[in-house]
Amino acid sequence: MNLPVPDAAGPEIVTQESLLLGAAERVGRIRDGRLAVQVFLSRLRPQNRQDGHIRIALRMLEPMVNAYRGQMFLLGNSDIVFMLKDPNPVDVENMIFKLRALFSKDPLTFSDDGDGVDHFCTWFDLSGSDYDRFVDMARQVTEEARKRSRDKSAAKAPAKPLDAKSLGEVMERLASFDVTPMMSRQSAIVIRESSSTADVLFQEFYVSINDLQKALAPDVNLLANRWLFQHLSQTLDKRVLGALSASPLTTTPNCYSLNLNISTVLSKAFDQFEAYAAAKADISVEVQVLDVLADSRGYYTARQRLHDKGHMMVIDGLNELTLQFMDVAQFEADLYKVAWSPEMRESEHGDSVGASLGILGVSKVVLARCDSEAAIQWGLERGIQRFQGRYVDAMLAAYTMAGCPKASACTLQQCIARHAVVKGPLRLQCGDLGMLDGSPVMRVPKAHHKEA
Amino acid sequence: MLPPREERPSNAQQRAIAQRLVGQESLLVDYVQKLERHRKGRRAVVVRLSGLQAVNRREHHIRIALNSFELLVKQLKGQIFSLSNADIVFIFKDTAIDEVEAALVKLRFLFSDDPLLADEGFAGKATFMDWYLLERDYDALLQYALHASTEEQQRKTQELTKTLTAQQTVARNFGRGEPLTPHVLAKIEDALVRADLANMMRRQAICAIVGKAPPQPVYNELFISIADLRETILPNVNLASSPWLFQQLTEVLDKRVLSLLNKHDDRTVAGDISVNLNVQTLLAPEFLTFDDNLKASMRGTIVLELQKVDVFADLGAFLFARDFAHDRGYRICIDGVNMESLPFVDRERLGIDLVKIVWDPAMSLGVLPNGDSLESYMRRCGPSRAILCRCDAQDAIDWGQSVGVTLFQGRHVEAMLATEAAKTRGALGRRR
Repeated sequence: MNLPVPDAAGPEIVTQESLLLGAAERVGRIRDGRLAVQVFLSRLRPQNRQDGHIRIALRMLEPMVNAYRGQMFLLGNSDIVFMLKDPNPVDVENMIFKLRALFSKDPLTFSDDGDGVDHFCTWFDLSGSDYDRFVDMARQVTEEARKRSRDKSAAKAPAKPLDAKSLGEVMERLASFDVTPMMSRQSAIVIRESSSTADVLFQEFYVSINDLQKALAPDVNLLANRWLFQHLSQTLDKRVLGALSASPLTTTPNCYSLNLNISTVLSKAFDQFEAYAAAKADISVEVQVLDVLADSRGYYTARQRLHDKGHMMVIDGLNELTLQFMDVAQFEADLYKVAWSPEMRESEHGDSVGASLGILGVSKVVLARCDSEAAIQWGLERGIQRFQGRYVDAMLAAYTMAGCPKASACTLQQCIARHAVVKGPLRLQCGDLGMLDGSPVMRVPKAHHKEA
Repeated sequence: MLPPREERPSNAQQRAIAQRLVGQESLLVDYVQKLERHRKGRRAVVVRLSGLQAVNRREHHIRIALNSFELLVKQLKGQIFSLSNADIVFIFKDTAIDEVEAALVKLRFLFSDDPLLADEGFAGKATFMDWYLLERDYDALLQYALHASTEEQQRKTQELTKTLTAQQTVARNFGRGEPLTPHVLAKIEDALVRADLANMMRRQAICAIVGKAPPQPVYNELFISIADLRETILPNVNLASSPWLFQQLTEVLDKRVLSLLNKHDDRTVAGDISVNLNVQTLLAPEFLTFDDNLKASMRGTIVLELQKVDVFADLGAFLFARDFAHDRGYRICIDGVNMESLPFVDRERLGIDLVKIVWDPAMSLGVLPNGDSLESYMRRCGPSRAILCRCDAQDAIDWGQSVGVTLFQGRHVEAMLATEAAKTRGALGRRR
């Protein structure tokens, strides 16, 4: 019987990693003809390595591992390690190829660092010199797993996913909840080539779901269920419209941009907001592709409704994938918001996105999530004139400070943070709310188009 | 699964026609009667699969049993009837007796561990099979056929009564009811855990209709009747009142449907079928179990129907699920595409096999909401890849055919099938 050793750090917990290590050590004497492969699913983007993805990957490998009397281990970080006896290498290669194809939308499988290393998986020829490397790897992951389980027991339980019951409760609370403190704003700019200036195209107002969750239901993950969240967002829309009508801004923006459900645009709450804002400002409404698909008839009506009053319809949430797999131009919207991603810099991807943007018409594209100069540069090279994102925030704050009499008391970071809120202590720290709410006109150097 | 539509249920007569789709039992009766003057040299064997334990008479068992006669049927050496109680009747000429015996040996082996066959040796009588020499036992066989047919009729009548009652209630509650709220949804989800969905499972044929030829069923869509579901566990709730909550409900239903298909021991999963699933469900353990169970038993094509909203909610997840499903040999159909959303669905780019388009009388004008020509869209989509669904009247079929569509689904198609079946029966009757 194994008696616990005094002073030991608790009983040894059996993990997939420790099983792997055991198996690796056991094959030490019978290494002939054995092969192991580690598939680095941990390196996939989080959205591409959810339980379902991993489950399918395991399922794909299962028949082959069984056929070659092998063993398979799913590590705590989502990596998969499998060992085979006398496999036909072509079978293994084909399977890895299939698996790679399954994850082909993730940069892991297509990005190339130019170092010739395969970042998706690594092979160990256990009969040869790779064996020691394999055991080392097993030791290392076992140690990491031990550390993770220690950390996990110290961390608090994760929020539970939103379900129908908790949604009911959250909606009841939201009905009498002031969302103004959770409201964020971010400006988008448009570069006017004729005058070599850039000014604010619109100010987008939205509720930070993270903050809302903290305030409304700290133990529930509001984004865990897409459909239930969509339902919640309809109520949220009304609260946002109400809050904006009573907003404490000193200057109303030239144009409000709001993330709304199509049903909201056709509701009384929108009429009321319009009555409040229309005299002072334009409105642009950002809708999600999935909402347009769910209620296409409503989309046409809403678009007409907006156009009748001179407002804009914007399709939000576009990215590389949507541009590749849909004919986005069919939405016939006024603007299309496309999220920038660093992969767009890779020529193949960038070119295909660039081509889609060309079809849409670059004058209708807002490049969003520009968090670096590289993003703006990429956009300018393709003739894009509309930008939004953290880098743009910084540009605007810098321009604000350059013209602000109270600027000497603040840092750029403070100015950026104050721009992003509409109420609360951060905003109150600003010495000149007029400058904060104003829309500066920036001078920009002439854009250089990429030669075709 | 399409969102619920609020509309008048079909009238009793339409339903009655659909319910009376010709069964194997009545074909058997017809055939036996036809043989009245051709008894000499003919035999029949009834394989009593109905007497097997439920675990031994699942769909794939019956299919394997039927397959053992397939060659004989192809060589025109006999006629096979697969009754809805699982029994198989094979009527053949004496000359084929050896081949029939051989087929039966295989069957015996297949079911040898079932008590029905285990007892056979001891009791000294054959309970698994009954033999009929038509020359001698013609009347007994006719009796058997008539009995089976009557039983089947009764079962259908019961079903029809149930459907009619349900529909009357639906009609009463039509367009009314409390809205679907999160609280109501939570209650429904609770109730679903206990509810028996098996009797709410419906099937509707997707048919090829070319020219004036009668419709040819290509595959059957299996779905939970939302009307029945509503009547059983949530009377007075207007499901159409909240599309997002309804979408969530379908995700809950998905898993129930899969577990139902997994354990079903009748012939629900017979032949080529389609089922409605959410993208997330395709990645769930329930689907993998379904996939496992199929490998052993299914040879037919399975079409997975995904809602358009679900596809676009997370394209990345969809593409992943699509590649996996294709790798496993499933076909993918995007469901619920109506005239307004047609322009946004680029079948080829999405890598989808089929598009299910909801018929709308306004389509006959030939123009999409954005002014584009519907016909040119259909050309791009590939008319052979389109299914026109909810065809309630002939004009739907006429329009579909005018733009090259050959696959149709809906009440009118069901009615056409029923008429065709009645005609066939009539023809058989006259030949007697």
